[in-house]
Amino acid sequence: MKATPPIATCEVRFRSLFDNTPELILYQNEKATILDANPAFLALVAEPKDRVVDHSYNDFLPPAVQPLFAEKLQEAFTGKTVRFDMYAAQGQSAPRHWDVMKVPLWENGAVVGVHMVARDITEKVLAQQEVVAQNQDLQQFTYIVSHNLRAPLASALGLADLLGTEEPGSTYFEETRTHLLTSLHQLDRVLRDMNTILAIRDQKSLAEAEAVPLAEVVQQVVQNLQEALDQCGGTMRVAIPAGLSVRANRAYLYSIFFNLLSNALQYRADERPLEVTVTATGGEGQETRMTVADNGSGFDQEQAGDDVFKLYKRFHPHRPGRGLGLYLIKTHVESMGGHISVHSRVGEGTRFTIVIL
Amino acid sequence: MDTLLIDDDPTGIFLTTRLLRREGQPTDVVTSFVSPVEAVAFFRQLGPADALPDVVLLDLNMPLLDGWDVLDALKPLEAHLLGRCVVYVLTSSLAPTDAARARQYPLVAGVLHKPLDRMEIRAMQARLQETRPA
Repeated sequence: MKATPPIATCEVRFRSLFDNTPELILYQNEKATILDANPAFLALVAEPKDRVVDHSYNDFLPPAVQPLFAEKLQEAFTGKTVRFDMYAAQGQSAPRHWDVMKVPLWENGAVVGVHMVARDITEKVLAQQEVVAQNQDLQQFTYIVSHNLRAPLASALGLADLLGTEEPGSTYFEETRTHLLTSLHQLDRVLRDMNTILAIRDQKSLAEAEAVPLAEVVQQVVQNLQEALDQCGGTMRVAIPAGLSVRANRAYLYSIFFNLLSNALQYRADERPLEVTVTATGGEGQETRMTVADNGSGFDQEQAGDDVFKLYKRFHPHRPGRGLGLYLIKTHVESMGGHISVHSRVGEGTRFTIVIL
Repeated sequence: MDTLLIDDDPTGIFLTTRLLRREGQPTDVVTSFVSPVEAVAFFRQLGPADALPDVVLLDLNMPLLDGWDVLDALKPLEAHLLGRCVVYVLTSSLAPTDAARARQYPLVAGVLHKPLDRMEIRAMQARLQETRPA
């Protein structure tokens, strides 16, 4: 028969686990009062033990998750071991993802307290989210290959076949050849687009961010579009505070405004002269909010739904365009940690809003 | 075979028209819409006695209204069109889900992949002969 280890050894073992594990361990009563907390918890909330023990756990939790914790504690006090995930700050710590377990402690047939063990799973959750995002990108890529790459290819196949039966030198022969060339150029353009998109995705980082004077970049874009603007009799009003700069990648910022203002020109309303207004607000330590608003033809936002910023989606069937611009803009904005939204009404105009921290 | 093409790509229209012509289809019985919105409007304004195209070749990937949207928009006219007008989905996509989805529309006789080939055109002509003996 094996000898049972002395009780003291057991206690040393469990004390060592309690003191040294990176997981947070709390012992609580039914009123959520903390009766004991391990060093990992004290380190996270950056408080000495006497400011934690005998305080309510709610003192360390944001109000949003307090009801969840109350409910799970109740459940544990019915004798069940409960486990759940949550995303929350504790004390003054930054919000993290936690895998939380509440284990009841039984004494003489009754639950006398509950141990909570919380493991930080932030890295794992973030890695998972990245995998999901990459999967969506891949799916979109497959979709592009099956639709946008095959469309000009199928045309080229048919046209090449047709060339074999049209009379060389005839009008139809020449027309077929022209269409064949167009299709091949389209095919090439799709491949070039993919290249552009992949290039942006590869450099997805804030490493190249610098303080970019916004008014200067927008002026540069306006200058480059001035000729087209004059030709259609349009006007652009730029209202950006002189000293305002954005932490951004200069080339991306240029591309964003170039694409937005080119769109305003391209989708202007024929009935009235184009008016575009570019504004920006923000400054030191604040988010920068930029808007580009036009009085152009607009589009049916309800019909467009979630597709507005999607690759190769188009909303003006009678005007040229291949559905790349807004997708690039969104990719650029997001690669700088920003957000873009749009509001549009048919016959009234379109307003884009970009927010960058 | 009075044919209506709905395809936003002018090259697609040119190609399909010429391929039909090569199989003996007179060019003057081929009509086309590059705008799906206009195609739907065309069907909606038809009177009960107006002539219908025998065959509609419908592209899927189009701006504003895609091919499925067009089919949904034609639903209210389905009873009138069935038996008089056959729709083929004509797409460059090879997605296997297209065929299953197309089966949900009684008007659709099949999914064809671009480019249209000789056999497919002859099969369409034959089917028309069978269902509607001259």
